[in-house]
Amino acid sequence: MKQLLYEVKKCLGCRSCEVACALAHSLSGDLYKALDEEKLSMPRKKVLACGGKNYPVSCRHCEDALCVDACMAGALVFDKQKGQVLHDAERCVGCWMCVMVCPYGAIRPDIKDKMPLRCDKCKDKDEPACVKACPTRAVIEQEKAEVKK
Amino acid sequence: MKQFVIIGNSAAGIAAAEAIRKADKQSAITIISDEDYPAYCRCLISYYLAGQVLVDKILYRPENFYKENNITLLLNKKVERVDPKKNRLVCVDKAQIPFDALLVATGSSPKFPEVKGIKKENVFGLRTIKNATEIAERLPMTKTACVLGGGLVGLKAAYALSKRNIDTKVIVKSKQVLSQMLDFAAAGFVQRRLVEHGVELVLGQDAVEIIGEGEIKAVKLDSGKAIGCELVVVGKGVKPNIELVKDTGIKINEGIIANNLLQTSIPNIYTAGDVCESFDITVQAPSINALWPVAVEQGRAAGVNIAGGNIIYDGSLGMNALEFFGLAVVSLGMYKVPDKDPSYEELVLDNPKEETYKKIVLKNNVIVGVILVKKISNSGVFLSLMRKKADVSVFKNSLLDDNFGYPAIKDLMPDKERIYV
Repeated sequence: MKQLLYEVKKCLGCRSCEVACALAHSLSGDLYKALDEEKLSMPRKKVLACGGKNYPVSCRHCEDALCVDACMAGALVFDKQKGQVLHDAERCVGCWMCVMVCPYGAIRPDIKDKMPLRCDKCKDKDEPACVKACPTRAVIEQEKAEVKK
Repeated sequence: MKQFVIIGNSAAGIAAAEAIRKADKQSAITIISDEDYPAYCRCLISYYLAGQVLVDKILYRPENFYKENNITLLLNKKVERVDPKKNRLVCVDKAQIPFDALLVATGSSPKFPEVKGIKKENVFGLRTIKNATEIAERLPMTKTACVLGGGLVGLKAAYALSKRNIDTKVIVKSKQVLSQMLDFAAAGFVQRRLVEHGVELVLGQDAVEIIGEGEIKAVKLDSGKAIGCELVVVGKGVKPNIELVKDTGIKINEGIIANNLLQTSIPNIYTAGDVCESFDITVQAPSINALWPVAVEQGRAAGVNIAGGNIIYDGSLGMNALEFFGLAVVSLGMYKVPDKDPSYEELVLDNPKEETYKKIVLKNNVIVGVILVKKISNSGVFLSLMRKKADVSVFKNSLLDDNFGYPAIKDLMPDKERIYV
């Protein structure tokens, strides 16, 4: 089970991760074509500056996730095997309860599609786009067990 | 092996059953419901009425949920009375059900105002899937409808009816919609959206009579005016379902009174959800917050404690997220300052041009209330500050900034930061 970590002192706040994330979730996956898409793809993470440092903020896939509890449509579930909070778009009605309760502010409402935007760890790809894109390797993907020691 | 019984098959009841089963694989769990449907997403029934959610997507848990968790589900069964002395339930059909521990999660029912004609056919509450189905069945014969009440249920009903091309008017006693969760300014944004999309609002007037012999003809207002309609939906708030514990020794006020273990005044009887009167952490007083996430939270805590655990439940707070015609709004806690009380402070950012509005209510530098219109992403960050009663004076000046977020508050949180290394 892998999780995303951020080495804050390496983060320059260049937002390459944001761009890569938006691109990875666009229809075409190509930067120039993506800019032309009818609905501009939005990043699932956001870099916030605070106290002279930069912090990439995105879904942490909490095991006791408040968003899962709050979801009145049963569209969010924590999948133990994958170690991820999964979202069922077919069940989701865009009520924004998940946005309301996420203590990290890591879920953004996509008003047009009535869908919450949150990190899916680039589910179909071998490595999350943000990890690949970070020029200073501030975004790290690591096994969860390694973190605990 | 014990016998655990849960009355109520919605958010609180299901969360409790799951929590009990997680801790105790052996004991018997029985869930009793007076509805004829397995657990469903109650808050989605307006979407179902609008035709935006199909009935198979409204189930809260997979069909095999009860079997898989070894839970006995009794549908269409109404409990008449709890008998704490004999540790048993007496049902309307005279059946008796014994228990070692009981959870009363009976929820609430729509309040119907005492106006003439309110008992007529085609006057509906909107609480159950049955209500929604009955309303839907009337729609082919309906052109116009009135909704009584401008709260969340009333507006969701109006939204659904207008989506089904019914000419709908909402009659609101107050001078604004959503007066229980928004201030006048924030309500204005919602009202403009509704009106733009064809939902007519009649503000500052109350219904006094529903006119018609048999069929409904009109709703008469206190102004003397009458509004023609064939169907009425009542959204005037809810009242907790406490009849079955009245005069049993279980202490009640507006709802069933719970301690911080979610026990009632009888230790082996617990309560959770819309019927449970627990503690409001922003108002600092006993209160009912009849909300889905609160019911889940309370149900889980009650379930853990029923199974022998020890979760201290420190209380809930009023919170709601809503969206009408593309405008997202969040309201948390005390959304306005109690009558000119100087010990409160308000931070406001009002931008009608961009349709954004942010308001933060503070008391002694602790956030006690928030309203966000359109830009709602940060609401969970504010919510955790409210729950922790954190002193925000260090970053008070940046609370309304778009760039304010979790990094600013992370050092105030009790859990060790795990992902920023």
